[in-house]
Amino acid sequence: MAVEKYLSSLKEGIINLDFGTVVNAAKEAMAAGVDPNATINKGMVAGMAVVGDKFEKGEYFLSELVVAAEVMKEGVEVVKPYLKGSSTLGLGKVVMATVEGDHHDLGKNIVTSLLGVQGFQVFDLGIDVPTARIVGAVKEHQPAIVGMSALLTLTMTKMGEVIEALKSASLREKVKIIIGGTSVTTEFADRIGADHRAANALEGVKKCVEWVTSSERRQ
Amino acid sequence: MTEMTRRERILTASRGERADKLPFFHWWRHSQIGWAERECRNRGMGMAWARPSYTVELRDVDVVEQPVVVEGVKVLRRTYNTPMGSIYLDEKREPGTGEWHGMRSWQDVSPWQTERLIKQPEDYEVLKFIVEHTVYTADYFPIEQAKDWLGEDGCVVDIHPHSPMQMLMIDWIGSEGGRFFIHYAKYHDLVEDLYRAISKSREPMYEISARSPADVIWCGDNIDGVLVNPRLFEQYFMPEYEKMAKPIHRQGKLFASHMDGRVDVLKDLIAQTPLDIVEGLHPPPMGDLPIGEALSLWKDKVVWMGFAGSVYTLGPEATKKHTLELLREVLPGDRLTIAMSTENLVSNENLRMVTSVLENVDLPLTGEKIGVIEKSLG
Repeated sequence: MAVEKYLSSLKEGIINLDFGTVVNAAKEAMAAGVDPNATINKGMVAGMAVVGDKFEKGEYFLSELVVAAEVMKEGVEVVKPYLKGSSTLGLGKVVMATVEGDHHDLGKNIVTSLLGVQGFQVFDLGIDVPTARIVGAVKEHQPAIVGMSALLTLTMTKMGEVIEALKSASLREKVKIIIGGTSVTTEFADRIGADHRAANALEGVKKCVEWVTSSERRQ
Repeated sequence: MTEMTRRERILTASRGERADKLPFFHWWRHSQIGWAERECRNRGMGMAWARPSYTVELRDVDVVEQPVVVEGVKVLRRTYNTPMGSIYLDEKREPGTGEWHGMRSWQDVSPWQTERLIKQPEDYEVLKFIVEHTVYTADYFPIEQAKDWLGEDGCVVDIHPHSPMQMLMIDWIGSEGGRFFIHYAKYHDLVEDLYRAISKSREPMYEISARSPADVIWCGDNIDGVLVNPRLFEQYFMPEYEKMAKPIHRQGKLFASHMDGRVDVLKDLIAQTPLDIVEGLHPPPMGDLPIGEALSLWKDKVVWMGFAGSVYTLGPEATKKHTLELLREVLPGDRLTIAMSTENLVSNENLRMVTSVLENVDLPLTGEKIGVIEKSLG
């Protein structure tokens, strides 16, 4: 099979949310000696771009975005052993967490997957993450961006607590902070001193890419 | 017009008729008890109370609970043993779990499931057995008692659990990390088969609740259009609502569903459902469908609106401004009731502020009347 055929299968498999097609095409591409970076970027990432486009046009819903990211994850797992170096991790580091008291992670996980696809190295701390652990992760990993998520009005105030703790640790100026979740508004983000409130997963990821590729980048 | 009781007000509006005043109430589950709550009730705030009309028995299923430690965290493991095999869930329980929020704090009332019942394809068959061996028996005492206690102070609603696909999405497979959607894509036939089994097993329960003494039968469905997209809503939720509505309407009762998320994407489909009441609608800034648009679109439905918790975090002045803006959107104020909260607790100050705005909302509401209310508040 020509290289283009493998890449086309991968792209179409992502668009059609077809686990089997993508995993098989990835295996076949690796067996045929196709460049693993091309397999990811020209095959799967190209498929994700179409999925993202369909999502923005309202043809696909969040559920399709989630499944596409998962299909891609399984495809990337096949390719990973063949990757040399970290050419897909060039955009910098992001620490992601759902704040303490909250166990909703759907949006956070989509953002995490999409950031990985874009080339960020993501440290996902999971759900119900205490403030001290987020601050500790920022100290340890020195990310360019911290992403926080909360669904409930009861728990979203924890985001402000994290920002204050980052200030106390003299870390606030070293990171951009993006927050998201149903209850979170732009007004709330301004009030607690976050840099941006993500309207949805795709918009949030775009903002992260914009930050690290513009002059605003803080590294 | 003779002044209506709080119960009459809520039910009159819920039938789509004009009440004397705009009904507003607090859910008992979310309410504080004390001087502010008493003051607000004396000033017109009603109370709504959700209670079940049935008990549940699992036949040929042995349920065992035991504490276990998973990755350093203490959880309670509930194992369901059946002839088809066993499945389990893990719950993280904070102090106060299972108690009323007045015993400790709202945050601790519900346990967190850290492991869901369905983890792998083999679990579907076991859960299907449990579903098919679930027996519902009428028990109207909780509703009769609540009606007796509340009297004319408010309204008692009969509570249904999540509808079948929502049960799978939120409770049994879980939506965290997109698990439900991944299962739906990977194990489509298993998900649909279990959905059908749940729907079938619920039929006796729908009949029981339709005959309950409650005036309103309420499905606590937590609809959010981001999770329940239009394709899913049309395929799995609308048919189930049709099924629920038939016995409810035969008994002359009202049918409500809790739709507290972002429902703009579902608004045209919701219009086609047999629901009488869209309960828990949160207009912006928390939801994405303005209340005026909802009322205009759903001409044959009533909205029991939930007040945005995110506005409460801004304090009483912001709460006053937001409430007045809401009123301007809903003229003449028919087919609407306002719940103080469907999410968590409301401070005394905010509760009193909403009451101050709403206590004098005579219907039909006009812009001039809103001006008078605003002026009276200073």
